[in-house]
Amino acid sequence: MLSKIINTLEETLIALLLGMMTLVTFANVVARYVFNSNILWALEITVFMFGWLVLLGASYAVKHASHLGVDALINVLSPSARRITGLIAAAACIVFTFLLFKGAWDYWANFANLPATEGRWFPLGFEEKFRPKGWYEVNDTPLPEILRWMEDAFNDGDEYEKIPRMIPYLVLPLSMALLLYRFIQSAVHLWTGKIDRLVASHEVEDEIEQAANRAEGAN
Amino acid sequence: MDVALLFAMVVMMMMIGVPIAVSLGLSSVLFLLWFSDSSLASVAQTLFSAFEGHFTLLAIPFFILASSFMSTGGVAQRIIRFSIACVGHLRGGLAIAGVFACMMFAALSGSSPATVVAIGSIVIAAMTQAGYTKEFAAGVICNAGTLGILIPPSIVMVVYAAAVDVSVGRMFLAGVIPGIMAGVMLMIAIYVFARIKNMPKGEWAGWGEIGTSFAQAIWGLLLIVIIMVGIYGIPGITGAIFTPTEAAAVASVYAFIVAVFVYRDMGPLAERDGRPKKSLLQRPDALITAFFHKDTQKTLLDAGKLTITLMFVIANALILKHVLTDEQVPQHIAKVMLSAGLGPITFLIVVNVILLIGGQFMEPSGLLVIVAPLVFPIAIELGIDPIHLGIIMVVNMEIGMITPPVGLNLFVTSGVARMPMMGVVKAALPFLAVLFVFLIMVTYIPAISTFLPTLLMGPELVIN
Repeated sequence: MLSKIINTLEETLIALLLGMMTLVTFANVVARYVFNSNILWALEITVFMFGWLVLLGASYAVKHASHLGVDALINVLSPSARRITGLIAAAACIVFTFLLFKGAWDYWANFANLPATEGRWFPLGFEEKFRPKGWYEVNDTPLPEILRWMEDAFNDGDEYEKIPRMIPYLVLPLSMALLLYRFIQSAVHLWTGKIDRLVASHEVEDEIEQAANRAEGAN
Repeated sequence: MDVALLFAMVVMMMMIGVPIAVSLGLSSVLFLLWFSDSSLASVAQTLFSAFEGHFTLLAIPFFILASSFMSTGGVAQRIIRFSIACVGHLRGGLAIAGVFACMMFAALSGSSPATVVAIGSIVIAAMTQAGYTKEFAAGVICNAGTLGILIPPSIVMVVYAAAVDVSVGRMFLAGVIPGIMAGVMLMIAIYVFARIKNMPKGEWAGWGEIGTSFAQAIWGLLLIVIIMVGIYGIPGITGAIFTPTEAAAVASVYAFIVAVFVYRDMGPLAERDGRPKKSLLQRPDALITAFFHKDTQKTLLDAGKLTITLMFVIANALILKHVLTDEQVPQHIAKVMLSAGLGPITFLIVVNVILLIGGQFMEPSGLLVIVAPLVFPIAIELGIDPIHLGIIMVVNMEIGMITPPVGLNLFVTSGVARMPMMGVVKAALPFLAVLFVFLIMVTYIPAISTFLPTLLMGPELVIN
C-alpha cells in the first residue's frame, strides 16, 4: 500500500517536472514573440527542474530496472552465475552511490550553513571549522514570499533577492540518499532471486511485447 | 597506463551488468580518488553541472517528449498510409514504403529502436499479408529503422553537439543529405531485389489517395517543419527564430496539441469504450482537462523515464570526460598516434572499428558521449571537420546497431517480429552491405555531410 503511494508520488513528480519544464520554456518563447518581453528566470529554473528530474528519477529507474546497461554477456550466463555477477554489480552500485552521497553532502552542506564531512573516502566525522555559504544566491530566480523565513534561518536576517543556492543543490544529497536506498533494495532482491539483473539494454524493452502483439493481431 | 586501467574498469563493470551510468561514474570517481587530489564534493559538483552548465542538453527531454506524443497515436499509421500511396505500386512497393515511412518517422522521433517498434509492428504484418516473407520484411525494417538517429532531429546528435561543443543546428543540417541518401540507397536495393525475385506490387491508388493520406499525415509532418524553420529561420527572410532547445519545447507543445485536439488519438476527446471521437465543441472542458488527463500523464511519465535513463548516463559520462580532460588523455593519445605517422584515413578506420564494436553493445548516446571527447581532439589535430566527424560517428553507430552478433536493433526487430535472432541477422545482411557502402562514402567524402551546413550557415570555424 505504502509502496504504491510512493510509486504514484514518484511518477507524478516525474510527469509534473517534465510538464513544467516544457511549459515554462514555451511560455518564454511566447513572451518573447507575443509580449516582446522575457521571463528572466525561465532558463535557470528549467535547468534546475531538469537536474531534479534526472537525479531524483534515477532512483525510480533503479526500482524499475530501467537503467541502460549491457546484457549481452549476462544473457548467456547460467542463472547461478548471473546471480553472482548481479550481486557484484549491485555492490559496485552501492559503493558508487555511497561515495557520491558523501560528495553530495560535502558540496551541499556549506551552502546550507552545515558542516561538510572530513575524510577522503569515508566520512570521518564533521569538520569543525568551515565558511558558511548560506548567503550564496542563484543568478536569476527571485525568492518567492513564502520562503522569506529562510532569511532569518540561513542569512542572519539579511534579505535574499534571489533564491539561495542551497535549494537547487538540495537535490544532490537527497537523490543520492534515495539512490543508495534503492540500490541496497535491488541487491536484496537479487539475493532473494526476485530479480536477475539491474539493467535494461535499450529504451523500448517494455514496448516490444506490445508491438509484437499488435503485429500478430493484424494478421 | 593509468588510463588503460580506467577504461578496463569501465568495460569490465559494464559486461557484468552494472548500469552504464554507474560503470562510468564509479570508474572515474575511483580514478580521481587514487590518482588526483580532487575531492568527492567536486565530483558531485560536476554531476550537477551536467544540467546547470550544458544548455544544449536541455533539448533532449523536449525532443523525447515531442516524439512520445507523436508515437502514442496513430501517427505511424497515417505516415505508412501516405508512404504506401506514394510508392506502394512499385515492385516491392510495400517494402519501399516501409523504408519511406521509417525515414519520415525518424524525423519525428530521433531514436532507432522506437522507429522499429512504431513502424515495424504495422509494416511487418502488412508485408507478410501481402505475400512477402517475414524474413525480408524484418530485414528491411531493421535496417531502415536505424535511420532514426541519422535523420534530424536526432537525440544522438544533440549529445554529440553537447559533448564536443559544436552547434546543434549544424549537426542537424549535416544529417539531412546523408539521411536521405541512406534511405534512397536502401530503396534502390529493395527495388533491384524485388525485380530479380519478382516480389508483389500493390495497386496504384491514384492521386486522390495521395492527397487524402497526405492531408492526414501533414499534421504530424509539420513537426519537422516547425523544428527546422524554428532553428534556421526561413532562408532569405528571417534568421533563426528559436534556439534548438526552444524549438524542441515548442515542438512538444505542438505535438501535444496535435495528438489531443487534432488527431484525438489520446486524451479526453479520444475514442474510448466504443464511443467515437468527440469534437472540442461537444467537450469544451477538454481544453483544461487535457493537461491532466491520464493519457497525458502517461506520456509525460514515459518521456520522463527515457530522459532520466539517458541523461543519467550522460551526466556520469561527463564526470569521465572531466577526468580525461584533467589528465590530458586525448592530447597524449593524439601525440602518440601522430608520431607513429598515423594519417586521417587510418585514424578514421580506427574510429569506425571502435564504434562498430561498441555500437553493438551499447545504447548510442551513451557510447557517443564516451568516445567523442576522446577522439575529437585527435580529429581536430588531423584536420578533420568536427561536423563531418559527428556524422561519421552517428552512421557508425547506426551500423553497429544492426551488426551481428548482438546489434541492438536486431534484438528489437526479433522481438517485434517474434522471429529468432539468427533469422533477423540473415535477413538484415544484404541491406547491411548497402549501409556499409554508405558508411565508406560518408567517411571519405566529407562534402556529403558538410555541404548543407556550409551552404546555409557559412564555413565552420574551429577555435582551439
